[in-house]
Parts: sequence; C-alpha cells; structure tokens
Amino acid sequence: MTDSKYFTTTKKGEIFELKAELNSDKKEKKKEAVKKVIASMTVGKDVSALFPDVVNCMQTDNLELKKLVYLYLMNYAKSQPDMAIMAVNTFVKDCEDPNPLIRALAVRTMGCIRVDKITEYLCEPLRKCLKDEDPYVRKTAAVCVAKLHDINAQLVEDQGFLDTLKDLISDSNPMVVANAVAALSEIAESHPSSNLLDLNPQSINKLLTALNECTEWGQIFILDCLANYTPKDDREAQSICERVTPRLSHANSAVVLSAVKVLMKFMEMLSKDLDYYGTLLKKLAPPLVTLLSAEPELQYVALRNINLIVQKRPEILKHEMKVFFVKYNDPIYVKLEKLDIMIRLASQANIAQVLAELKEYATEVDVDFVRKAVRAIGRCAIKVEQSAERCVSTLLDLIQTKVNYVVQEAIVVIKDIFRKYPNKYESVIATLCENLDSLDEPEARAAMIWIVGEYAERIDNADELLESFLEGFHDESTQVQLQLLTAIVKLFLKKPTETQELVQQVLSLATQDSDNPDLRDRGYIYWRLLSTDPVAAKEVVLAEKPLISEETDLIEPTLLDELICYIGTLASVYHKPPSAFVEGGRGVVHKSLPPRTASSESTESPETAPAGAPSGEQPDVIPAQGDLLGDLLNLDLGPPVSGPPLATSSVQMGAVDLLGGGLDSLMGDEPEGIGGPNFVTPPAATVPANLGAPMGSGLSDLFDLTSGVGTLSGSYVAPKAIWLPAMKAKGLEISGTFTRQVGSISMDLQLTNKALQVMTDFAIQFNRNSFGLAPAAPLQVHAPLSPNQTVEISLPLNTVGSVMKMEPLNNLQVAVKNNIDVFYFSTLYPLHILFVEDGKMDRQIFLATWKDIPNENEAQFQIRDCPLNAEAVSSRLQSSNIFTVAKRNVEGQDMLYQSLKLTNGIWVLAELRIQPGNPNFMDLELSLKCRAPEVSQHVYQAYETILKN
Amino acid sequence: MISQFFILSSKGDPLIYKDFRGDSGGRDVAELFYRKLMGLPGEESPVVMHHDDRHFIHIRHSGLYLVATTSENISPFSLLELLSRLATLLGDYCGALGEGTISRNVALVYELLDEVLDYGYVQTTSTEMLRNFIQTEAVVSKPFSLFDLSSVGLFGAETQQSKVAPSSAASRPVLSSRSDQSQKNEVFLDVVERLSVLIASNGSLLKVDVQGEIRLKSFLPSGSEMRIGLTEEFCVGKSELRGYGPGIRVDEVSFHSSVQLDEFESHRILRLQPPQGELTVMRYQLSDDLPSPLPFRLFPSVQWDRGSGRLQVYLKLRCDLPPKSQALNIRLHLPLPRGVVSLSQELSSPEQKAELWDGALRWDLPRVQGGSQLSGLFQMEVPGLPGPPGQGHSTSAPPLGLGPASLSFELPRHTCSGLQVRFLRLAFRHCSNANPHKWVRHLSHSDAYVIRI
Repeated sequence: MTDSKYFTTTKKGEIFELKAELNSDKKEKKKEAVKKVIASMTVGKDVSALFPDVVNCMQTDNLELKKLVYLYLMNYAKSQPDMAIMAVNTFVKDCEDPNPLIRALAVRTMGCIRVDKITEYLCEPLRKCLKDEDPYVRKTAAVCVAKLHDINAQLVEDQGFLDTLKDLISDSNPMVVANAVAALSEIAESHPSSNLLDLNPQSINKLLTALNECTEWGQIFILDCLANYTPKDDREAQSICERVTPRLSHANSAVVLSAVKVLMKFMEMLSKDLDYYGTLLKKLAPPLVTLLSAEPELQYVALRNINLIVQKRPEILKHEMKVFFVKYNDPIYVKLEKLDIMIRLASQANIAQVLAELKEYATEVDVDFVRKAVRAIGRCAIKVEQSAERCVSTLLDLIQTKVNYVVQEAIVVIKDIFRKYPNKYESVIATLCENLDSLDEPEARAAMIWIVGEYAERIDNADELLESFLEGFHDESTQVQLQLLTAIVKLFLKKPTETQELVQQVLSLATQDSDNPDLRDRGYIYWRLLSTDPVAAKEVVLAEKPLISEETDLIEPTLLDELICYIGTLASVYHKPPSAFVEGGRGVVHKSLPPRTASSESTESPETAPAGAPSGEQPDVIPAQGDLLGDLLNLDLGPPVSGPPLATSSVQMGAVDLLGGGLDSLMGDEPEGIGGPNFVTPPAATVPANLGAPMGSGLSDLFDLTSGVGTLSGSYVAPKAIWLPAMKAKGLEISGTFTRQVGSISMDLQLTNKALQVMTDFAIQFNRNSFGLAPAAPLQVHAPLSPNQTVEISLPLNTVGSVMKMEPLNNLQVAVKNNIDVFYFSTLYPLHILFVEDGKMDRQIFLATWKDIPNENEAQFQIRDCPLNAEAVSSRLQSSNIFTVAKRNVEGQDMLYQSLKLTNGIWVLAELRIQPGNPNFMDLELSLKCRAPEVSQHVYQAYETILKN
Repeated sequence: MISQFFILSSKGDPLIYKDFRGDSGGRDVAELFYRKLMGLPGEESPVVMHHDDRHFIHIRHSGLYLVATTSENISPFSLLELLSRLATLLGDYCGALGEGTISRNVALVYELLDEVLDYGYVQTTSTEMLRNFIQTEAVVSKPFSLFDLSSVGLFGAETQQSKVAPSSAASRPVLSSRSDQSQKNEVFLDVVERLSVLIASNGSLLKVDVQGEIRLKSFLPSGSEMRIGLTEEFCVGKSELRGYGPGIRVDEVSFHSSVQLDEFESHRILRLQPPQGELTVMRYQLSDDLPSPLPFRLFPSVQWDRGSGRLQVYLKLRCDLPPKSQALNIRLHLPLPRGVVSLSQELSSPEQKAELWDGALRWDLPRVQGGSQLSGLFQMEVPGLPGPPGQGHSTSAPPLGLGPASLSFELPRHTCSGLQVRFLRLAFRHCSNANPHKWVRHLSHSDAYVIRI
C-alpha cells in the first residue's frame, strides 16, 4: 500500500489541504482531490468533515468528477442527512440531463441514499426515468423501485410504481425485463400473498423470449422466476423444458444450475413413459459433469447439488462414476463430497471399480479422508449385497496394516455389516479379537464389545475379553458402558454357568455406582428380567434384530423434494431449507414439487389399489420383539437421553412388582392384559407409590415409543349425534356413533320412541358402501319399545359387505324398519374406525414405501391450534391405531412418521410436523401419502377429530 | 442479492469495501470474514461460510481475497462466477491484479463496481459493454522499462513460454489509456490443456482426461473480425470421422456465445469479433482415449528392510514425448511413511535436486527431453514402522504411507489432444499503421498426474 500516492502519510493538516484542493479552480486538481478523499474513505479514515466541499464539486459537466462525488455522497449521506438535502436540487436537475448516463447515475445514486427526506424528492424523477426513452435509464430505474420499496414500501405502492414495474416486463429491451423481473421477485418475497408476479402462459412466453436475448446475469433472474411457476399440465411443462434446455450448455455455471432447477422441478410433471423424459435425463448429465472440471470452489458447490440430484434421480448420473473419483490434489472438502456421491451411485455394475478406488484411498496420508474411505467400504457392503464378501475381505486387508485409526474404523463398519448380514462372516471375529488392545476410541470399543456379546457362544474366551473391559468400567464413555452391560447379559444368557459372577458385577456397577440414569435404568431392567423370568429375558435380550438398511444416511423425502426446488441456491449447499438460515419473513414459504397433472390418466380408485395385506386379518396383538429390542439397542448409538436422576435407595426395588405384571402379559396369552396400567395410562397413575414418578415415566416412554402395546384401549369415540329425527320417522328418533374396540367395529345406537304407539319388529340394513361395512348381527331389540322409552344397542359391524364407492367416501346409507314403516337415513362414519391394529409399518418398509409412492399422491393439511407436544400426539393417535414409526427432531421441529392401515388393506403413510414450545404456532402440518389418494382427506379429518378431542 | 463486496489483502486488510444494500455490519464484516476463514477446521469447506444470517462466498486470486456476502438464499454459483469475472475485469482495467494495483486505482474499482452491480443485482460483466460507462483511467505502476526485459527471455531465459511472447505484455491493462492505440495492436491466442492421469500400481491406466481451452486476449480495437483455423481433422464426439488418419478427437466442445460457427462444420474455422480483453473462445474435454502416449511413465521399485528400518526407493522416469519436444519444471512428489529421518540420494544428472519436504520426497527436474530416461535412487531411514507380519524382514511390498506419486510439469508447444491452431487471420478494416502482432501459444500442463505405487 505504501507505494500509492493516495496513501501518503497523514499530516496534521491533511483534511485542511484537501479542503483547499477541493475548492481549487482547476478541474484536474479537484478530481485528484476527490480521488484522495475516496481513497481515505476506503481505508476507514473519517473524511465526513469535507462533505460541503465535496458537494460543491457536484455541479460539473465532467462526468468523471460527478461520478466520484456521487460515490462520496452514497457513503456519507446517511450520517449527514441535513447536508444531503443540499444535493437534492442537483439530483433532480441531473435526472433531466440530456446525457442518459447522467440521468441513470442520478437516479441510481438517489436510490442508494437511504434518507427519508430525499426519497420524497425521488418520486417524480423516478416516474420519468421509468418511462425514459433510453433503456440504460429504464433498467436503472427498475432497480431503483426495489431500493425505494426497501426504504418505504407504502410510498411505492401509493405512487403506483409497482404497476409501472409490471409493465416493464413487456419492455423491448431484455436488460430492462431482467431487472424488472429481479425487482418484482424481491418485492413479491416480502409480500408472499400479493400477486405481483402474475405468472400465466402469456407472461411466461414473454420471459422465455427475453431469456434468449439478455445477458447471462439476466438469464439467471428469469430462470429463477420461471422455477416458481407451476405449469397447468404436462404439455406446458414439456414445452417450457424444451425452451430452457439450451441454457444447459451455457458457460456460466449459475445459468446452468438455474436451468437444471427448472428442469428437475418440471420433470416431476412429466410421465416417465414419455420419450421426452428419457431425452431430458440424458441431457442433464453432461453439464453436471462439466462443472467438475471447474475450480475447486465451484466443484464443491456443484457436488453438493449433485448429491441432491443423485438422491432424487440416480438414473441421471449412473454411468458417470469415474468423474467422481478423487483426485490427489483435490481439497479435502471436495474429496469428502465425492466420496459420498460415489457411495450413492454404487451398484452391482460398478462396485468392483468403486472398491478398488476406496482401497487406494484408505492408504493415503490424510487421516480424516482415510477414515471416511474405510466407512465408505462398509456402506458399500450394506448397500450392494453382492459386494459384501469382497468388502469384508478388503476390510480385513486393511486391518492387517495395523494402522491404528484404520483398524478402529474398520471394526466399526464390520459391526454394521454383521447387523446387515447376520451369521455370515463370523469367521473374521478371530482377526478382530487380535486387535482388541489397540482400540482406544469409544465407538470402536463399543462396536467390538457388541460383536463379542452377539457372538459370545462362538468366542471361547468371550468372558475373559469382556471382563478385561470391565476393569476400567467407570472410565469408559456411556456408549461403551451401555454396550458392555448388554453384552455381558447376552453372554450370561448364552453361557449361564460360567458367567454368573461377571453379570452380578456388571449389574451392580451399572445400578449402584453409576450416576448415569440411562445406564441405571437399563441395568434395572435387565436385573429385573433375569431375576423374575430368565426365559423371558432370553427372548427379549437375544431376540432377532431387524436388519439395518443403507437408507439411514438419506435426506428425508419431503426435505429432499423441498431442496430440489432450491437447486443452485445456498440451501442446496447447506442441505437445509432456507427457513433454517434466512432471516425470518423472507423466503420462508415452503416450496414443493408440482404434482403430476396429466389429464389423460385416471387416478387410481381404492378398489384397484394394491392391497398391502389381506383385509380382515386378525390384529397382531403382540409386537415383534425384535422391534422392541432393536430400538433398545439403537439407543446406544444416539446421544444419551438425559433423564431425572434416581435416588440410590431404589436398589431395593426388587421387591416392588415393577415389571412383573407388564412382562407377564407381554409374553402371556391374555391380550386384555396388555396395555394395562403399567404401560399405557399416564405414568403418575400407574407407578407404585414407593417408586417415584420419574422412573415410571422413563420406562413407559421407553416402551411406548417402541411397541404397539397400547392399542387395545380403544379408538376415540365421538359423542352420539342424532341421525334420524323423530319428525322424519313417525316418532322414531335414532342417534348414534361408531366405535372401534379390540379390533371390532360397532355402531352404538340409541333408539327413542317419541310416538304414542309401541314399536316392535326392528331391523336394520346398510346400503353398499366404500369399505364394505355391514351389520355382523341382526338388530336385536328384545322388548317392544313403548312410548317415551329409550333403548341403547351396540350393533357389531364387519367389513365383508359389498363394496361400492360412495360420495363422499365415508357415506353410509342405512335403512331401519319397524312395525310402522321403513325409514332411510345416511350418516358419515369417521375413518378411524377402519384403522386396524397391525397398522405399524417397519421402518425400512416405511421409507421405501414413502419413496415409492409418487409425489402427486401426497396431500398436505394443517391442523390448527393443537397445543399438544409430540409425545402426547403420538400416544393419542396410537390409541386410535395410528402408529408412530419413527420420530426425529429436525431444525427444532419434531417430525413424526406414522403409518396406518385400513380394513381393506390400504396403507396410509403420514409425516407430522410439530413445533414444540412455540406458543404462537400451534398448527401441525400433516403430509399424507397413500396409493389411493382419495382417502387422504378423510384420514386428515380423522386426525383432526382424534387430536382435537 | 449481494449485500457487500470487499477485497482483502493476503493479510486481511480491506482494500475495497462496498455495501450495496445499506444493511448494517459495516467494515467489521470484513474482519469477521477473515477471522472465520483463519479459524476454520481442516475438513470444513471454506467456500460457503456463514455467521448468523450473513453468508460469505469468496475466491482467492493473485493473493487477494475477493469476498461477496449475502443474507438471502441466492445462487452461490452466480456469486462465484461473478467474483472470478470481477477478477478478470479488474485485470482488464487496472492491469495485473495485485495489492498495489488495487490501492492505486480505488476510484476506478468503485466506479466499475457501481456499473457491474446495482443494489446487489449483477448488471453486466462484459469489458466491452462497460467501456461505454467507465470514465476513470487506470493508474499504471511504472512505465515499461528495459529491466522488465530480463524476465521476458531475450537473453536466453529458460522457459519456452517466455520465448514465444513477452509475458509481461499480456498482463498490462487492456483499456488503460485511450491515446496510444498503435502500441497495442496485439493478439494473444493460447491453447492450454490440463492433463489428469491416474495410473494403477500395476502400470495400467485407470483414468485420463484432458480439459482444454482456447483463450484469447485481444488489444485490438473492438469489432475487428478474426478467424481461427483449427486442425482440420478435429472431430467432436465418439462417432465423427474426418480425414484419413485417426483424427484429433474430443468428447465435448463448448464455444463462447460470440463465436460464429458457420465455417466450423466445413473447415473447422471459428469466426468472431472479439471485444477487447480476455475471452475463452472454446472449451473442450477428452477422456479415456488419448491419441498420443502419455508424456511420462514412472517405474518405481521399493526395497524395505523392516529390521533395520531402511527404505530404498528406486524411481525410473521415462519421458515418452517426441524427441524434439521437452518437458519443463518437472516435480515429483512422493509422500513417505511417517517418521522418515534421513535421505540419501543418487541422481542421474547434476541439475536435478531432491529433498525431504513436509513428510514427502520432492524430486525436481528442470527439463526432460522427449525419449530420455532419468532415474533416482533414494535411501531413507524409517524407524518403527508397522507392517504386514509374517513376511520376513525384507520385502518389496510398499509400506503404508508411501505414495501415490504425483507429477507436475509443463509441456510447452505440445497439446495432449493434438489440437493445433492452424492460423489466426485478422480481417483488418480499420486502417492502422502497423500489422498487429499475433502470438499463438500451445501449452499442456499437469492437473493431477498420479501414479500409484
């Protein structure tokens, strides 16, 4: 910096000197002086004292000097608003200047001076400039409207600038169009409800025409604007895609990505059978591949986007594996992204190639990268079954290198491989055990302990191995302690004779000497199980575990769809929706992919929908134990759930029958016992008095989450409503409601005789209806119904009657006969009486089904003002046979993934978004996916009914 | 929409600071950025960083940080593209980018920024279009002096590249003064290819690709038409056939939007009227199928005595270029196992150098003639290195942490794809006193040339 003449040392009178120079008569000297002032401004010196002198230079016909003065003004006007007014006259005059450069300069600068008093004077010049004959002035004025809107939105609306701006979309100059679109898009974002950017086929056509003519930067504005449009059908979508496709070969990567966004979004509307769909897929690959030869910064951003695209449509890049191979000189953040994409693209066809690469990476020097490479080998094994054997042998080779971090990482992934392919690769256990001593990371230790416990019967010295870990029990991390506890209990159940002492030791370590509530709770559960019923303990602890799947690292399907709408933006780099990182108010509208609306196809009706399971199946009362245990084990891998500490006095709790009853019924054959007080009803009421509430609640939560035990307590029952008023039925009044209890549906009727004569000979008949509801028994009214007498009857129903689609779907037409006449009425039954008890879907199946059901079948609803938290919602829904399959916390919101099954075998999958702890936002968002989308509306009503009552 | 743009020196001092949206933060933002960048953990990407609601995107260019910030969910691609265009643009207007150039031309830089970005919307980045608006003239550091010639290569300097064209001539501003047009009737046309190669330890070629571009830097008045003739056997795509020989084949080509292609199909001629300044005329890529042999092959052999901890690496490097060509500034980089303590070497010629540097062996060869073969024998002490058990003490299996070797080099007057510029013709309508100087250069260099051991 020292070699610059503008930065010469500060003398005391520098400002003074500048002042003199600014007031000089010579133009050149003035200019040099202003330049010096600006240079000082840049390095942070305060030159605001020169304001009047600089403003004095403003009235000049020298454009260069004028620009310099304007530059100064933009910087200091805000701190000197009163002085800035001095400049207003010149601004207004300059807006009339014959030179368009000066007109544009004036209007641009005025917009940047964020002083209220100035904006008042801005309106008239701006109005003229918006209609200027020179496009350079018009395009500058268009941006100025956005500037003014930011300072004073009301003023812009009152002055009618928005309409003028809309007119500019049809301007003849593409630069003006682009700026108008950009300004309108931004203004529209701050008024989500307004219809500023009224996109219709005509305006879209104009935009597409301007797209071909304007600069690359203008193309980005226009493409981003197009992406917000929803075409009316597949034909329109295709024609827009055809006109956007040429942008894919643009040299500017931002244009390319904006085009990719439009195409990915509109593709959703095209049928996969279309020839054009295939053509489009092929065209998307080359531009994405080209991005990978750019500089590393662009590569990284491109890779983050490709990661999303590959998850949404893997077919686009399935043949391009090689371009994702890591280069030696790639920066580490590029390497890691490439690795991730390689796994996502791995398939049986290319797995050999991928594995050879990964093995090379695992011998590089960079520790972080090597670790990720080893993990990647494990993920390959889980993803591509045919490669598992090769992966395992590769991992064994790596373990042979004895490099500490490689060995540890390999053991962690081998544990996952065991979970995926049980009883297949145990031959490697011996090799693993050799490395026991070198493991110093908790995750690797925990994995090794799990392996030893799981295969205790095949490892001769399993007890010695585990005992060696036990010595330093209190120094281990929670993860390792929990695993050790479970492993030793497993060992005990497998080899009870030799290991009694060991199990005693670990149980007392866990329950007495630990202050970690998770560890203690689990210790007590095992202790209790072992002391009451070792057989049951065996069934629980050694139950078959559900297999793990490779889907665990995928982005949530709904989030993925939202992110696809944000391709080429920051959201696609962070892999977070914009609402998570953009200041509130702007751009927080959730976007979603457009549904497919091909007019030619008819939608599936419930009758033709593939049945998930045979209907009328007896509900499966006892949950799969694997499920329960699997989840218990899974708890290890997550962060510890902190619970309230438990007083140590509760060691004596062996005497309290804490689990006995519950467990007996869990294993036993009395279905009514299940869901008894120990598990389902609120904890406070159930827990034995001397136990203390915290323990009880912890336990019931544990079980609530994992099993479907509570379902038999019965679904929500609406209060009885009058179905047939007495006036219409010659004095017979019928009111009723529907219930579902222990798997059977019934219609609870109340018949009242309001006539003067006795009624007899009652009979009931249903018309055919959507779900085949029919009386399972005749209507039995035992005694004649005398005047003013009321009788209550519960009529059992089944779902094996004839089926006919009704409108609305849940309409039921009923005929009731008595000795007087036949009466007809119709009623709507709540859909939740059709939710069956075995409607809990396996996690993996859920995920696969969710992906499998096309997006156009997704329906979204809002349940307003529901102040419940996730647990309450979950348990309330569960009692009506809506089961929570998984729960996650994303960005502070609780997401519940739920499944339910209708009596005719239709599955409905739901995602429920809850914002806990936000008193202003008690609305729940519900997304439903079902192969028969007609039911969604009614399922939503059922949700609302259950949650609101 | 861009909120702020600033340029920081390599030490983090702000040279230029511009706020487009009047949203607070002020200069502290620049400092915040620099602190954040310096404190970033290793594997995290510095490309997009954020602090609260402010997102930073930056590139490094000639030791400077060019940074844009935004608080909205906008396209990081457009920001990155913009920053690299700004770097080119500032070079065009102020001369080779650097701390000095920027601080000498503060007023010009601000004027440029005002025209390029309005309220954070990009307006244009075309040097040509901006010429209509820019008033300030660049301040050039010092007049051309004879001393500069020493780096130009008149006195037998080493690199081929500098023999072809005075390199400093290409780094002066395109648009500095409007007065002396005659001096700068020059056109530079470069065909530059980047070669990435991956060779497996058994010597088989795993991957090869070539990224090529034809770059033009023109000092001619705008609007003068020029025609660039490429090799006539130039084929695009796998199926096209031209000429009788194997042809020069590339997989994909893209052109700058100003290039007219009406003579391309028939005669492989590109026609364009380039604006003043820099321009990428054409980009192409080629993978897997290289017409000529790879420039280098490496034959390593490793002897490793675990007992004594002695590691011996013998490297034989063969250059398969045609005998008349040569490679320059070759550097071989070989990561070594951790804990290497000493190095002794026997090299095949005295001008080579080898040293231990940052846990790796670095072997520098100033030049290698085509068809020649060089070798180096390196002995190192590696105490306490773990290795596969049960294979005896001495083994030829490489120890962990050794390799892969990577080579960097330049191949002047050589293109790996075989693409050549046949001619560069100017249709010179504007009467001018001198014939313009045309410089056509071909150069290949390594991007990642990796040989696994």
